[in-house]
Amino acid sequence: MLAFIGRRISLALLILFGSTYLTYQLAAYSGDPLAGLRESTDPKKEVIIAELTKTLQLDVPPPARYFLWLQKALGLATGKPDFGDTVLLRFPVIDQIATAIPITIRLLTISTILAIVLGITFGVLSAIRQYSRLDYSLTFLSFFLFSLPIFWVAVLLKEYMAIQFNDFLANPTIDLVSNFVIAAVLGFIITGFVSGTRKRVLITFGISFVTVFALFFAAGATEWFRHPSLGIFGITLLGAACAVGFTHVFTGLNNRKALGAGLTSVALGAAVYYPFGAIAGPGTNYSLMAALALLMVSSSYFVGYFFTKIDKGPVIRVSMLSAFFVALFTVLEKLMQTWDTYYKLSDGRPIQTMGSYNITISSNDFWVTNLDLLTHLILPTTALTLISFAGYLRYSRASVLEVLSMDYIRTARAKGMPEREVILRHALRNAMIPLTTLIAFDIAGLVGGAIITESVFGWRGMGSLANEAIQSQDLNLLMGTFSITAFLAVMATLAADLIYSTLDPRIRIRK
Amino acid sequence: MAINFRKKKNADQPMEGNETGSASVQVAGLSQGQIIRKRFFQHKPAIAGLIFMILFTIFVYTASGIHLGTDSAKFEIKGWWKYSFDELLDQGSCADGCPSSDHPMGQLPNSIDYFAQVTRGSEISLMIMVVIGGLGGFIGTVMGSVSGFFGGMIDAVMMRFTDFIITVPSILIGAVIGYNLGNFGVFPLAIFLGLFSWTGLTRLVRGEFLTLREREFVDAARVAGASNRRIIFKHILPNSVGVIIVSSTLLLSSSILIETGLSFLGFGVQAPDVSLGLLINQYQGEFIYAPWLFWWPGIIIVLIALSINFIGDGLRDAFDPRQNRRINRKDFLAKTATRDAINKR
Repeated sequence: MLAFIGRRISLALLILFGSTYLTYQLAAYSGDPLAGLRESTDPKKEVIIAELTKTLQLDVPPPARYFLWLQKALGLATGKPDFGDTVLLRFPVIDQIATAIPITIRLLTISTILAIVLGITFGVLSAIRQYSRLDYSLTFLSFFLFSLPIFWVAVLLKEYMAIQFNDFLANPTIDLVSNFVIAAVLGFIITGFVSGTRKRVLITFGISFVTVFALFFAAGATEWFRHPSLGIFGITLLGAACAVGFTHVFTGLNNRKALGAGLTSVALGAAVYYPFGAIAGPGTNYSLMAALALLMVSSSYFVGYFFTKIDKGPVIRVSMLSAFFVALFTVLEKLMQTWDTYYKLSDGRPIQTMGSYNITISSNDFWVTNLDLLTHLILPTTALTLISFAGYLRYSRASVLEVLSMDYIRTARAKGMPEREVILRHALRNAMIPLTTLIAFDIAGLVGGAIITESVFGWRGMGSLANEAIQSQDLNLLMGTFSITAFLAVMATLAADLIYSTLDPRIRIRK
Repeated sequence: MAINFRKKKNADQPMEGNETGSASVQVAGLSQGQIIRKRFFQHKPAIAGLIFMILFTIFVYTASGIHLGTDSAKFEIKGWWKYSFDELLDQGSCADGCPSSDHPMGQLPNSIDYFAQVTRGSEISLMIMVVIGGLGGFIGTVMGSVSGFFGGMIDAVMMRFTDFIITVPSILIGAVIGYNLGNFGVFPLAIFLGLFSWTGLTRLVRGEFLTLREREFVDAARVAGASNRRIIFKHILPNSVGVIIVSSTLLLSSSILIETGLSFLGFGVQAPDVSLGLLINQYQGEFIYAPWLFWWPGIIIVLIALSINFIGDGLRDAFDPRQNRRINRKDFLAKTATRDAINKR
């Protein structure tokens, strides 16, 4: 095993060497970094050009210059890796990357998690209901999303999710016609999840239509979108709904222990609602929030643990997931309470289309700062989630379908195992194995950045650094961003192979 | 959301039994090719996609004419549309260039006819797509066949070379090359993008060859004295043609998105040439004042990619109705799917 890893790593380093060399040559021959300078009318330009040629070692031909770069980048001489400076402003590349990586990670984390969770959930649903209405709609949806150019979606999102929503906030009342349309569309979507007789489908549509209509009517009448709030009542209700839902998925509602554990966690969450409001004032910070979250999750673990004597796993899962969602709603509520303040601070344009944060808003309030980050995240996250969601949906569907046709599934069913257990214990676990590789690559891609998205939404992350480097033929900057991305991609391949062979004992690593 | 775990009619059952039963009745007496054709023509979205692609290609090419060669050696056939994509016109009936009967897609701020631009842009995007798909498909098939058939050292070296090409992000490579070669016209750009787009297909074809070369009919052929070349071309390749065609189709749909993405960033097709991505890039700021400038190219990209995806899906169903190529797809999935997704971001 160790020998295998060692050999793979040395091969990976070789590949890295090759690809950085190729990229360096391509980039070096793609243009002249001093082109802009040569055309300038600066009387001292000859001096500057001569100086830059010397510092950038442009007199050395690129095939040799690569090794000078490599020597510095590996820190052979000084013992410290040095990726050089950017051409124009003479900033150290490493600093630029250090500021870009957190921005990129912030941009991509939520969308990656959302895409994975939603994609796998809907993919599994689509597979266990193969050839149903839901399956056909999800399949069509995934093909449609696959075909969307992200830059085009981005512009549409900017117009309809940001600009027009902000306009709407100025007068947040919903007229009857739009309410009718919204209710019809949402009712239609909700009905898609229901199968059964025509009567059942129609009843579901009716109920969801009326509910959505009433909710939006109330929201419009109370100007909810300007002063959003869930209230402790709303949080408890939503939390209880989550607890019931998770119980239904993981154990079935017959398992009263699981239901009890889930609801207890929700009650616990509701009980700490007011104390939480008192602790988490404007001056709170991330570590306090993390500690509180940890406390919540661990206490819900014990709730699940002590609620039942047999088959603790699913009960604990239900309890922890319910607690997680209650905590999420509580934080959401806190952010909603800040919405009005933020609305005024942002001059009535709360949803932002450009950048990663608003410079003009300088507030010491923890919640305002975070709300600001979130309103900037909404659009790119939506765009990115839409694009990668489709991939996860397709692959988890295919994977589950494949596993479901295996003999061991037939055996499990034949021995009388409940269908829920067959799916959760046998099908899902095996179906997720090939998906781990996908996830490993996506996580490696987190740092690499999203060139198109970052450029459309004006985020200064790794993607836009690479973009900028190519635009200005800045070799040092390009190689800095590229080597990190390539390194992570190579490591992801290796990690994916190792995870794969650990999860699936049938796959042996060749010695 | 509620999950219904109860068994539905036949949905959850392992389908092998009845499926093969009914399939064998359905296809009795037909050749392999006829079966595939029959299954493909039953796939309605795929047929819709195919018809759209054929009609759209004919429409676009006849409307804008054929333009080949560089500026010095031009080969052109004029299309039936009255305006050319680089012709400066008088302002039409509508001051802000809105669509009218004379200019069905409106006019640009500098009064160029937008219909001419869009058809020309579609023409170029389609051309690039076909070149990337064709080149990537060809190289991928050759590399994959050789690697999978011979195995051993050749396989190891070729696979590491593939890894090497995979590490170089194609959008970055495309950007570097597009920026440099964009001035020479779109054809070299398409070729270079094609040279870096074969990796996924290679892995897939290799996996297919690895499985097929262990099969009895290959042993039989070898015992009968067939040469390597004969085994590859007469025995294995015909059996893996399904995988090749399907994934080449999907390569087409991802290449139109990559090309438009690159052009959008300004690294792909360069002005005065037009491409659908470039058009969106140039007029995204006009969205509020002249939304038609933004909608047309976007809708066309979506329609092209969607049709090709559907055609690919139809072909997959036709070649491989039960989708039982387990190991290979996992390999393909692991190595190419996310790369596509990441490239598209």
